[in-house]
Amino acid sequence: MGTNASQLEKEIGLEFPPNERFFGLANFGNTCYSNSVLQALYFCKPFREKVLEYKAKNKRPKETLLSCLADLFYTIATQKKKVGSIAPKKFIARLRKEKEEFDNYLQQDAHEFLNFLINRINEIIIAERQAHLQKQKPNAENVNDSKSQEPTWVHEIFQGILTSETRCLNCEMVSSKDEDFLDLQVDIDQNTSITHCLRCFSNMEMLCGDNKFKCDNCCSYQEAQKRMRVKKLPVILALHLKRFKYMEQFNRHIKVSHRVVFPLELRLFNTSDDAVNPDRLYDLVAVVIHCGSGPNRGHYISIVKSHGFWLLFDDDMVDKIDASAIEDFYGLTSNVQKSSETGYILFYQSKDCN
Amino acid sequence: MINSSNGMMSASSSSSAAGAGGNAPSPGLKTYFKAPEGRYKLHYEKGHPSGLMHYVQGKTATQATVAIVKDKPSPPTPLSQPSSGFSASSGVKSAAAKLLGGSNGSRTFGFVGGNGGSKNLSGSSKLGPFSSNSTNSNLASNFDGKGTYLIFNMGDGLFISDLNSQDKEPMKAIYFNNVYPVCHAFDQDAKDGHDLLIGLSTGDVYSVSLGQQLQDSGKKLVGAQHYNKDGSVNNSRCTCISWVPGGDGAFVVAHADGNMYVYEKSKEGAGDSSFPAIKDPTQFSIAHARHSKSNPITRWHTCQGSINGIAFSSDGTHLATVGRDGYLRVFDYPKEELICGGKSYYGALLCCAWSADGKYILAGGEDDLVQIWSMDDKKVVAWGEGHNSWVSGVAFDSSWSPPDTENSEQTVYRFGSVGQDTQLLLWDLQMEEIVVPQRRPPGGSPTFSSGSQTAQWDNATPLGTLQSAPSMRDIPKISPLVIHRVHTEPLSGLIFTEESILTVCREGHTKVWMRPGTPASQGSSNSETPLSTSLKDKPLLSSIK
Repeated sequence: MGTNASQLEKEIGLEFPPNERFFGLANFGNTCYSNSVLQALYFCKPFREKVLEYKAKNKRPKETLLSCLADLFYTIATQKKKVGSIAPKKFIARLRKEKEEFDNYLQQDAHEFLNFLINRINEIIIAERQAHLQKQKPNAENVNDSKSQEPTWVHEIFQGILTSETRCLNCEMVSSKDEDFLDLQVDIDQNTSITHCLRCFSNMEMLCGDNKFKCDNCCSYQEAQKRMRVKKLPVILALHLKRFKYMEQFNRHIKVSHRVVFPLELRLFNTSDDAVNPDRLYDLVAVVIHCGSGPNRGHYISIVKSHGFWLLFDDDMVDKIDASAIEDFYGLTSNVQKSSETGYILFYQSKDCN
Repeated sequence: MINSSNGMMSASSSSSAAGAGGNAPSPGLKTYFKAPEGRYKLHYEKGHPSGLMHYVQGKTATQATVAIVKDKPSPPTPLSQPSSGFSASSGVKSAAAKLLGGSNGSRTFGFVGGNGGSKNLSGSSKLGPFSSNSTNSNLASNFDGKGTYLIFNMGDGLFISDLNSQDKEPMKAIYFNNVYPVCHAFDQDAKDGHDLLIGLSTGDVYSVSLGQQLQDSGKKLVGAQHYNKDGSVNNSRCTCISWVPGGDGAFVVAHADGNMYVYEKSKEGAGDSSFPAIKDPTQFSIAHARHSKSNPITRWHTCQGSINGIAFSSDGTHLATVGRDGYLRVFDYPKEELICGGKSYYGALLCCAWSADGKYILAGGEDDLVQIWSMDDKKVVAWGEGHNSWVSGVAFDSSWSPPDTENSEQTVYRFGSVGQDTQLLLWDLQMEEIVVPQRRPPGGSPTFSSGSQTAQWDNATPLGTLQSAPSMRDIPKISPLVIHRVHTEPLSGLIFTEESILTVCREGHTKVWMRPGTPASQGSSNSETPLSTSLKDKPLLSSIK
């Protein structure tokens, strides 16, 4: 480990960015799902900044998952050494306390963990905000006032808006409904690009059979066409590639190792007509990678971009990699079931947020 | 008819099964596809030797070059050849054309396809009767099916196949032992024998005589001139290589670090070849060698990051490059000046190609789009939408002519593209019919105008400025005529020849799709029929408008 760390420092050499730390995270028995996501989030700059800001503002907080995360990020950011590894002991202990499903030594789904973490952090911020408001105005009865409804920094970073437009095939009325999202979960096809998968995400879908649309105009269930397009593009666009498919004939989830290429830059083609910034340009900043043949086995690692170069975090190991090595994580072109190292969650960060 | 294509299919299935690692035969791959002009049929498949399995996961994508060798070591005379299934009429025609071509020594039609950049080195048939005739002469000298070769790289090997034979395996393999040949180019008009260029992953470059390689029985390159030895001038990977059309033996090598070098094959590779340090890596700069004996003679620093594709216009006056940074750049080659260029919608550009008349450039890349750049408007005039993944090869089909040319006002271009989605797409570009969403005047609602007016609302951009990415809502979109899944693996390039379309996959397999109206596509059961006879139904001056 030590030799690895100093080698990394040597390799990066003079271009080692000031005030940057590259620290691996020790594995406490199948905690790579957490380690890989934490590293990815650490290198999503807007997120890291907000977490460190939280740490600075809350000197003696009650222990929450957020306070543990803030401590962890702070510990990494204030290390004397530039490279090395640390053990996220407190964070994992807290995680196991907070969610029963994670309180074991089994492999967990990195996306489920990301989803849980982001939502939990958001809840904590809202809860603390309400507690704060209550302290300021102890007599106010309605704490759910506008102030506590304001978006949190979690929303500001990850939240986008999807517009679902539904056209009733009976009365031709188009109704649209907005919904928030913190990440997009996309189906994947063999030998495609993430661009294509996102286009398909917004393909027109028929609502028929058991899935008819309740048309307010017709006051009845009708056949309809529906499509979901992005109306508000988030600062950090997290894309979850649905690589674990339930196969009835096997009665379990099977990993789909399809080759899905993802570019270092991205824009969205599937924006709605009223989207505010439809040409928003994103940079790929981090990828959580699943290695192995199935959802409940295998390993998670992550690659992140920092100051123009790419690093691979594999639990406590950190390596500098060439950008051209990213193509190793696109997936397999043949459909043979074998172990693969494939991009699983992609983090794209808006270029205009710096 | 059906026999022959079935035979082809079973051969292909079993061989691609071997290539894909013992997987089941490729499902759902058809051996033909329909275009408005008729059916294109899978005629031949070319691959690497079957023992090369361990390279399948290699780090190089196969590029392919078609080489038409004019003067073979011992050219047999057409009429004396006791060839099989070879009609007398076409023999006479070939002989006559050969005479014509030989007497005026005009340049013949050639294709060199790099990474999707199918470059037309010499004048196209659009130039007039002479070049068309010489095209025929060229085929005449190949009448025995032995003069047109497919050159492709795979792993550490460079392979040469006889394009017109049924053999799937190459006739010649050259190995480079742990360094990878990554790009190559052929010049059929080369004067002193060295007609083939090979660029390596180490940055090294060789020029050799293709004929000499074919005569040699070994597995090593013979009689090679070596440039940039051990990467002494530039040790980054070669990405693409091209002869300068009409450049008298000059050639250009592009590298993964954004530099491009001009060499002269007549000069020794040795000598002091140092160039001044690049002052500002973000800016385009030209440096000439300090030493007169230096080879390379010029360094073009075009961009930061890899140059992924280069293409000369057919007259050699313009050079287009595309790169990792997502920019298409167009240079005045003799003047060494940047003329214009622009950014992809997003991501790297991977390939580019010129129309035969030099008016349009195609560029494809990581935004899944084929962008059509107009040299008149100096901007992107349309996006081709239809690929499901990155576009890895683009080319205009200069042998194609629109079926109805009565309306001489209309110019229609046919082009093709291949992608990592394993698909071949064919497109028609008809500028007059493209509807441009006009820029919204202040307070106005969007209106539409026809593409011919586009120049009106775009003021002339100053020379040498690069445009930023266009907005999605400003660019007209076109859709493909044909979408056909041609391989099981992601594709790396395509080449149009007079008789066929060649699709190349990253793993070293090439498929030859015969054009409609050629004997093979009409289902001749005699697969020995030479391809040159295919021209007999084709109007010689078809492309002239």
